Amino acid sequence: MFERRLYYHIDWVLIGAVLALCALGLAMIYSTTGGAGRVYWTQVYALGLGLIAMGIAVSIDYRSLADKSHWIYLAMMILLVGVLFFGSVRGGSRRWIDLGSFNLQPSEFAKAVLALMLAKMLGEERRPALTNNDLFIAAALTAVPFIIIARQPDLGTAVTLLPILFVVAYVAGMPMKYIYAMLVVAVLAAPIAYKFGLQDYQKERISTFLDPGQDRRGAGYQQIQARITVGSGGVWGKGFRQGTQGQLRFLPVAHNDFIFSVLAEEQGLVGVLVALGLYFFVIMRALDAARLAKDRLGAYLVLGVLAAFTFQVIYNITMSAGLAPVKGLTLPLMSYGGSSMIATLAGFGLILNVRMRRFTN
Amino acid sequence: MAIAEDRRRLATRLTVLRVSIGVGFGLLACGFWFFQVVQHAQFKEMAENNHQRTLTLRAPRGIIFDRTGRLLVENRNSFNISIVREHTKDIDRTIRILAMVTGVDEKVVREVVDKHRREPSYRPLVVIQDATLAQVASVSARKLDFELPDVLVQEVPTRQYPDQDMAAHTIGYVGEASEDQMQSEGVTTGSIVGQFGIERVYNKFLMGADGAKKVVVNSVGREIRTLEEIAPVQGRRVQLTVNYAMQKAAEDAFRAYGYFGSAVVLEPKTGDVLVLTSMPAFDPNDFATGIDRATWASLNTDKLSPLQNRAIQGRYQPGSTFKIVVATAALEEGIITPERQIYCPGGGTFYGRFFKCHLAGGHGHVDLRHAIEKSCNTYFYTVGNMLGVDKMYKWSEKLGLALKSGIDLPNEVESIVPSTEWKQKKYHERWYPGETISVAIGQGQLSVTPMSMAVMMATIANGGTRVVPRLVKAFDEGKGWEPVKAPPSPFAPFLLKPETIGAVRDGLWLAVNGEGTAGRGRVAGRDVAGKTGTAQVISNEGKERARGKTDEDLRDHGWFVFMVPKDNPEIAGVVFSEHGEHGYFSATVAKHVIQTYFAQRDGLPLPVLAPPPPPAPPVRVAAVTGPGGTP
Repeated sequence: MFERRLYYHIDWVLIGAVLALCALGLAMIYSTTGGAGRVYWTQVYALGLGLIAMGIAVSIDYRSLADKSHWIYLAMMILLVGVLFFGSVRGGSRRWIDLGSFNLQPSEFAKAVLALMLAKMLGEERRPALTNNDLFIAAALTAVPFIIIARQPDLGTAVTLLPILFVVAYVAGMPMKYIYAMLVVAVLAAPIAYKFGLQDYQKERISTFLDPGQDRRGAGYQQIQARITVGSGGVWGKGFRQGTQGQLRFLPVAHNDFIFSVLAEEQGLVGVLVALGLYFFVIMRALDAARLAKDRLGAYLVLGVLAAFTFQVIYNITMSAGLAPVKGLTLPLMSYGGSSMIATLAGFGLILNVRMRRFTN
Repeated sequence: MAIAEDRRRLATRLTVLRVSIGVGFGLLACGFWFFQVVQHAQFKEMAENNHQRTLTLRAPRGIIFDRTGRLLVENRNSFNISIVREHTKDIDRTIRILAMVTGVDEKVVREVVDKHRREPSYRPLVVIQDATLAQVASVSARKLDFELPDVLVQEVPTRQYPDQDMAAHTIGYVGEASEDQMQSEGVTTGSIVGQFGIERVYNKFLMGADGAKKVVVNSVGREIRTLEEIAPVQGRRVQLTVNYAMQKAAEDAFRAYGYFGSAVVLEPKTGDVLVLTSMPAFDPNDFATGIDRATWASLNTDKLSPLQNRAIQGRYQPGSTFKIVVATAALEEGIITPERQIYCPGGGTFYGRFFKCHLAGGHGHVDLRHAIEKSCNTYFYTVGNMLGVDKMYKWSEKLGLALKSGIDLPNEVESIVPSTEWKQKKYHERWYPGETISVAIGQGQLSVTPMSMAVMMATIANGGTRVVPRLVKAFDEGKGWEPVKAPPSPFAPFLLKPETIGAVRDGLWLAVNGEGTAGRGRVAGRDVAGKTGTAQVISNEGKERARGKTDEDLRDHGWFVFMVPKDNPEIAGVVFSEHGEHGYFSATVAKHVIQTYFAQRDGLPLPVLAPPPPPAPPVRVAAVTGPGGTP
């Protein structure tokens, strides 16, 4: 399955950039959690497991994987439903499967599975042009995990699935009129969705985003503190482990959702630009893999995986600067979180997989 | 063909994605640039406000001692519980919890917070001063539960007056600086400054310099580390001229006999104030931790006015004690000699009106010494008439009985001795010679403070130097005690003729040790020279109209002025007792003070207070017409 010559086509540059981001994340976790404690070592182990997952994802030809995508998809749906019933509860939501020493969050893996499923469905070579029927099925395939995950409830992760659908459908040739129509519907539907579709705490987060001053100590607190954290860092930052906002816990979950704020505080604008540059490089490099892909299946798979990743990166960094409502969305590769780390690295395994096999038949 | 088209479309849409992502990252970079460069200063300050707190370290005020080195005022540590509004998530919740755990009325806490609403931020608002240990413990426990990150418990030095109300009017009290004081003293809100007495007058010396401590706190308000600390500098030590034992003797006597009034004792040569008391007094400890409203209101509405310093703010008729001034003036002006005899048939007629002497049968022929001894009105009517009111005023001022004494205490009132000029100015009327006759025995429009009376006695005691009473003997700026030099007297120097001094002192000695009215002031072997006097509370005719008032309110005030020993006096002073009729009681107080002075000077055990004297005998004889002089 893994031919030796493929080894030479592995994109070591991309792996290097990804690992650099992981290292940056580890350093920030080390800083905010006060040294090499439990959180730090968990993240190190997760990185190791992630690299193994990446190795596995690289090894199996993505076309073989795609052939079994419907089984994989089905298995994932069963797993997600299982979580709803048997998962362990933390912070009011049921997202995790308790594996003893380790909690697994299946929804993190659902992104890659959905990307694979959509790529397979819309990218099969024998298909003629994209039909409305295809789009409808694709939307339905996305809706199922979306609804299940949203019920956990974990709206943040659920929303991450949507970019996968849109990007894959977009590159698969979704007519532009649909895109315009969707934009119009989105603009019109937003207030209605706000009114009826959201939980109170979600509404509160959005309304405080628009005017954080209205609740300086409640929901607006995190947002204001995020801005203070970032802004007080200045150009050069306060220095490693010298931050005050993260170190003294004015910014909550600093090692998790707000890890980028901590980077901005301690390493300043310089650190921010380095990290932004690395993410930008990783995304562009991965887009190259899509362009170079041997077939549509490969290209769509790369784009599907990348869509979720990019969306999450941009949203989290925007939120870290206090410029977006606070959602429980982690920053892939840097935030603390085992499942996210493993799933993201596995996703990059798929991207490497496609690029590596661009010359094979 | 289809594949090629497919490829082209994919390439186009990939480019669109690439550009969109590029723009997205560009905007993000701009956002961070804006926060971290353009708005950096503002956010930096906000971050510092988050985690840095500057705590004022209150400087202990200077310790105050008496002239013998006995401690009068010290400091103790107390706990203040404050709220820092800016660290509050929910001020209402904080107020509620704080009120609950400390057992303080929620309204009181809210009032403090509301009162300081407009003050500079990040300043702790003191909600509970001098918290009990139980309150401190329960608040500290809550802080650890992260329930009250915005509440601060601070240990602060607080003023302590071990002898409670002793010399309260002299020492004074402290309190939070008012708006005006913040300006004039150059202190910040919440500073404790002297508000009364020595505490106020010498506030700058006593106050010291507050220190500051800048600390880093975490999000639940726990102090993580200290960034910098400026230690507070304690205020200077101050030594008063007051003599603790004598002061206590005076107050004990007043208390034991159940009278109110004032006593002032001076050292005639220096003007040092040995005793300065005003009864009833207040407890300055009540003010040290912020006086509560009820206590303040009761102090202010009490009709005995405990806040008034009677020694420098109470004005009373001098009565017969004024005869000392008349005698001195007449001798100095050369109008009479001490041997001059005047016949007293029980009164005299001046300007067509009969003025009674207090002894109905008359004193017969008396010279000056015996006129003072017996307090003969007729003698002084005659001499006063010869002198005229303006000469009496002139010598009142020279001796220090008129105007202010100039003591280093605030709000002293002027003592009033009338003159033709004064009457013209005040009433736009000319002086009638008949009025002079009443003034000559200390009645009429005379109104003097006990302090000025004491100064007058000191001037006669030291032979003619009008001293300015002073309360501070020495300051300690950290290099040991440095005596305060008495400033040169601002009053024109003069000397009394030896025969004047001799005659007046002889008369005063006789009044105490002879057949005079001041026998209760006698101290064996100490040659006390003194004189009693009565200040009429109400004229005899007025008494008829003032029905409804209790007898006690209408009883006359009693004076006793003294110097001792007669030759070369070491102390001179006055005891004034409200409603203490004729000065008998005052002489008893003075006796105890004098005995205490000599016992202390000679290293003997301090005297024990004698049991209350029997009520004064009814000497007073109702005057038939006009003012009836009494001894």
